[in-house]
Parts: sequence; structure tokens; C-alpha cells
Amino acid sequence: MLEMEIRDKACRGCRFCVDICPTDALAFDDETQKAVIKEVEDCIECLSCGFICPSGAIAHKNHHVVKNFYRNLYFSRRMEKFL
Amino acid sequence: MEDIHEIRKRRRTLQETMNFMAALSAGIEPILGRGANSMTMSAGRNLGRKFSENATKTDDLLAAVDEVRRVLEENHCLWFFEPFKPKNQPEMIMVNDKGEREMQIVFKDCMIRQSLFRFGHPQQGSLCNMMYGFFAGALENIMGKKAKLDIKHAGENACLKVLTVAS
Repeated sequence: MLEMEIRDKACRGCRFCVDICPTDALAFDDETQKAVIKEVEDCIECLSCGFICPSGAIAHKNHHVVKNFYRNLYFSRRMEKFL
Repeated sequence: MEDIHEIRKRRRTLQETMNFMAALSAGIEPILGRGANSMTMSAGRNLGRKFSENATKTDDLLAAVDEVRRVLEENHCLWFFEPFKPKNQPEMIMVNDKGEREMQIVFKDCMIRQSLFRFGHPQQGSLCNMMYGFFAGALENIMGKKAKLDIKHAGENACLKVLTVAS
């Protein structure tokens, strides 16, 4: 199960993560002027929010990490058909 | 135990292929102009048609998507994708105002994305349209209907696409 965390102290309230999230899993809290997690179930694990965050305030855990095709021996072997 | 030189050789070949793919994706549009996207889409559609020649026919969209996955796996194509239902959406498959069936699909493992990042090219290039073509071709065989696959979001670790099937 995916776990997501926004560190309050690090968030600058730039809204980049809210704007980039394609599924509206994040929202902006007007009171605190910081990003908050709205629906973690809606996160597709694209990690765009984490990559765009200027202060590195967003962290994901237990997410699917894409296969590194050219290093992963199993995948590399399967790709042989095309090479 | 495999010979280390064989492994390294295979990696090198794979990396060269990735480099070529990425260059193709980034370079085809400036060279060929607007026709590039339709060319890659058409290539994907032909591949989808060819791979799904003997696929099980169905009218159920979820079963058809599973069949596309099976066809890809059978042909050693390494694209890992899964249907996605937002929490506030009542059903996985929705009908749009044109009466077409729509569903969202998350693409996780993608060799095109890996190649693009590895060699510093932008996403959503012409090669991404190949997957659109592949789904269109495969679903034409499986469901007998026109389909399109639009990119809603191209992310670093996953892409969100919308599959639309004509009524």
C-alpha cells in the first residue's frame, strides 16, 4: 500500500504539486497555505509531485518503481527477441 | 551461470536500441512535421492488429484490456499497465457525452519512457503515440470497434492515459 507524506515544515506553499497532480490527489489548504494529501488512493505513483517540489517536501513509500530495463537481467533477457 | 561478457554485450545492444528509440522519438517530429505522429500511430496499429490476430473476441472493455495485456506479454512486450478508478468515480468505465466508453489506464513500466529519460528527451513525443496505435489496432480486432488512447499525464514513474472506445 502506497504511503505518501508532505513535510509541513518543508512545504513552501508554491502549489506546484497540486497543479501537476493529474488525479487531484493533493489539495491546497488555504488556512495553513500548504499542500495537503486529499486522497492517497487516487495517487497513480507517477511521482511528478515529488520531482517538481522545489523543497523536496513530498515523499512516497511502498510505491512501484519502474523497471530499469537495461540493467535488469530478467527484462534484458526478455528484450532479446527485439535486438 | 551466464558469461559476464555476454551480459555486458546484451546490455550494450539494449542500450544502443534505447538510444536509437529515444533519438527517433525526439527527432522524427522536427524532421517529418505533423505527419510523424500519424506514422508512429499507424506503425503501432499495424503491430496491434498483427499481435492480436488470434486474440479472444469480447465486447467487455475490461476483458478486452486484459486481452491486450496478454497479447503484449505473449509477444515479450514489456509494458505494465493497469486500469485506474478515481475514488470519487462510481464506475471504472464511464460513458462520455458522445456515448463512448472511457476508462483511465496507468502505464508503469515503459521502455519508451526509460529511453527518453536516459538520453534526456522530453516525454509525449511521437513514439508515445505508438501505444495509442497499438491499443487502437488490438481493440479493433478484439472488440471490433474504433479506440483511442490519449495521454492525460506523462509522469516520471507512471503515465495516465484515457482509453476511449466508440459506441
